[in-house]
Amino acid sequence: MDRFELRRQDFSLDEDQKALQTSVAEFFAKQCPTGTVRAAEPLGFDEDLWRRVLDLGVASMSLPEARGGDDATLVDLVLIAEELGRAVAPVPLVGHAVATRLLARAGASDEVLAPAARGDRVFALAPAAVRNGRRQLVPDAAVAADVLALSGDKLALHSAAGPAPHVANQGSTPLAWWAPDPGQERVVLAVGDEARDLHRAAVAEWRLLTAAALVGLTEAALHLAVEFAKTRRTMGVPIGTLQGVAFPLADVAIAVSGARNLVWKAAWLTEHEPGSRPELPLMAFDYAVRTATHGTTTSAHMQGGLGFTAEADASLYFLRAKGWSLLAVGPGENLQDIGDLITGTD
Amino acid sequence: MDFGTIELTPEQQEFADEVRSFLDALVTPDVLEHERAHGDGFNERVHLALGSRGWLTPQWSPEDGGAGLDPLRRRILELELQRHRVPDITAGTTNLVWTAVDRFADPSLRDELAPRVADGTARFCLGYTDPEGGSDIAASRLRAVRDGDEWVLNGAKMFTTGAQNCQYTFLIARTDPELPKHKGLTMFLVPLAAPGVEIQAIRTFGGERTNAVYYGDVRISDRYRLGGVNDGWAVLHGPLDEEHSVGTASDGLADPSVGRSFLRPLEVALDETLAWARETGPDGSRPVDDPSVVARLARVAVELEAGVVTPGPMGRVKGSLAIVEGAAELLDLTGAVGLLSPGADGALGDGDVDFAHRWAQGTATYGGTVEVFRTIIAQHVLGLPRAGYPGSKVLM
Repeated sequence: MDRFELRRQDFSLDEDQKALQTSVAEFFAKQCPTGTVRAAEPLGFDEDLWRRVLDLGVASMSLPEARGGDDATLVDLVLIAEELGRAVAPVPLVGHAVATRLLARAGASDEVLAPAARGDRVFALAPAAVRNGRRQLVPDAAVAADVLALSGDKLALHSAAGPAPHVANQGSTPLAWWAPDPGQERVVLAVGDEARDLHRAAVAEWRLLTAAALVGLTEAALHLAVEFAKTRRTMGVPIGTLQGVAFPLADVAIAVSGARNLVWKAAWLTEHEPGSRPELPLMAFDYAVRTATHGTTTSAHMQGGLGFTAEADASLYFLRAKGWSLLAVGPGENLQDIGDLITGTD
Repeated sequence: MDFGTIELTPEQQEFADEVRSFLDALVTPDVLEHERAHGDGFNERVHLALGSRGWLTPQWSPEDGGAGLDPLRRRILELELQRHRVPDITAGTTNLVWTAVDRFADPSLRDELAPRVADGTARFCLGYTDPEGGSDIAASRLRAVRDGDEWVLNGAKMFTTGAQNCQYTFLIARTDPELPKHKGLTMFLVPLAAPGVEIQAIRTFGGERTNAVYYGDVRISDRYRLGGVNDGWAVLHGPLDEEHSVGTASDGLADPSVGRSFLRPLEVALDETLAWARETGPDGSRPVDDPSVVARLARVAVELEAGVVTPGPMGRVKGSLAIVEGAAELLDLTGAVGLLSPGADGALGDGDVDFAHRWAQGTATYGGTVEVFRTIIAQHVLGLPRAGYPGSKVLM
């Protein structure tokens, strides 16, 4: 990599992107107050909200026009995911959008793709390759009967009669144990290297969109802590005047601003120059995960004992920081993947 | 949003080729050797050669001694200067100070200096920090007392980096100790050749040279005053905001982070460590075969990328943190060979990891400590209330 290469470094949004960002932010602010988030616990799925999210067209918008989409880009998707994260919305959008795009990229028939693009059913992606039929934790599998998985050298869509049983978890997400059922209906989408490449790209997209969601989530948590620090007083001054409070919050702001830009840059390059920096989406994920953990911990702590209570909204962000980060391949494995790419030992 | 490469027109490509071959010939190994040994942040031969092309003030028109470069050509030039590791500290401080000279200097002084800034014969350093004042620039005690058409200066400044290679220092002085802290200050452009100015070298363990500058009954003409008497804080604000990257708009070409230059030595050290990790070591194994080594290298690379894209004043802090922590981590990975000095038997590269770790520490202090920048972020980005300290408004 030429570290002095002449490239644009334009982080600005165009009018369409700004309009999308604003409309999605307004949608979630109105349709998904924190009461809605709590009401959807412990499953973490609000079907009414999901219907309304689908009505926005977000499941299909990033498909090619020829496949019934609007040719929206990965950049548009990360803008949406950031707003979803800000609202900690209990909808399986990240996994469903990634699975739908994977179906289209694998050349699935219209018959297979249409229910995903319309959102008739929820589709999920099994993040790890299936080994010897062993079960794995699959995000959204408690609300999705259709799971895309890589088994051996085949990428296939597995459709069961219904979703798998929910397992209770820290982030209140629709997590479930899942394994391919030999008796299930199965549509093979790709085989060999193509199957592995498609799956790897989908997992990278999952990490990137999750990173975007974590940026929004962390900024929302930061915002709560900042408002608290402006009004809460100790020894006659607002606690936000104290460096012991202001500096940790400034550090969260530093991390959030960098994580957002890293997500945007990774999204743009993945969309427009696929393969040029394959490590960047994974780097954005690593940084956003650590930003979320550190940022939500700091934000809860700056609200003292109050921030530690279950009824404080700080708890919603804290519990989902890890609750969302670990769903599709843990940060440890992600870090190994980055290392393999930069050392060329893949 | 756009992070794409830029297709150059034949004329632009010709310019890029010209810059590169000019710098290839100009920045000889002895320039880099000298910089390594002395840490001047300046090389006179290189500086004057750049001036002869108008490339010290590239946006100025050729009639004014510049090169009339558009933003794209300026970016091409900037990247090539960085690629060639041109020592640029004094060029940077000269540019910062020029904005104040241009706006506030006596027109005859301004007109006299403009062509010399462009050709490289007039260079400016920053006379901000009092020995006891640290980052609190407004606490300056260096006295300037009016005597007819002259001012008499007495006091000292620390960390006047580049003074040994500059003709003038941009000096903040107290002209009225009775007025509130920020209201009794005046800015001067002090000729460093004036009798009574004494420059003493200070070495840092980062390899750089800076200076203490002493002023003993230094007499300068009122012509060298910038802006109004006791109006120094307003004069200082332009250069200070620029140094702190407050309120700068992006043209889509510039680095989003003002801490970008902090990360250059980390890039060199990381690339050097990656090369080391791929080689078979004395025990017959390659470091990259150890997954823990790979993961730790990955983490440094992530922090570097995060530093590159973190915007504005946030990027300044992040850039410093990334190299301070990253270089230490790289040293831990390489072990004792990473500590070897350039030229020592078995040293890694040119001692790049050793250098990055030492040099990194200065980035946490340049232009005000990272704590100053955290305060700026807390107040101006997050909108947190300002703390009132006993010495905030009063000189104590």
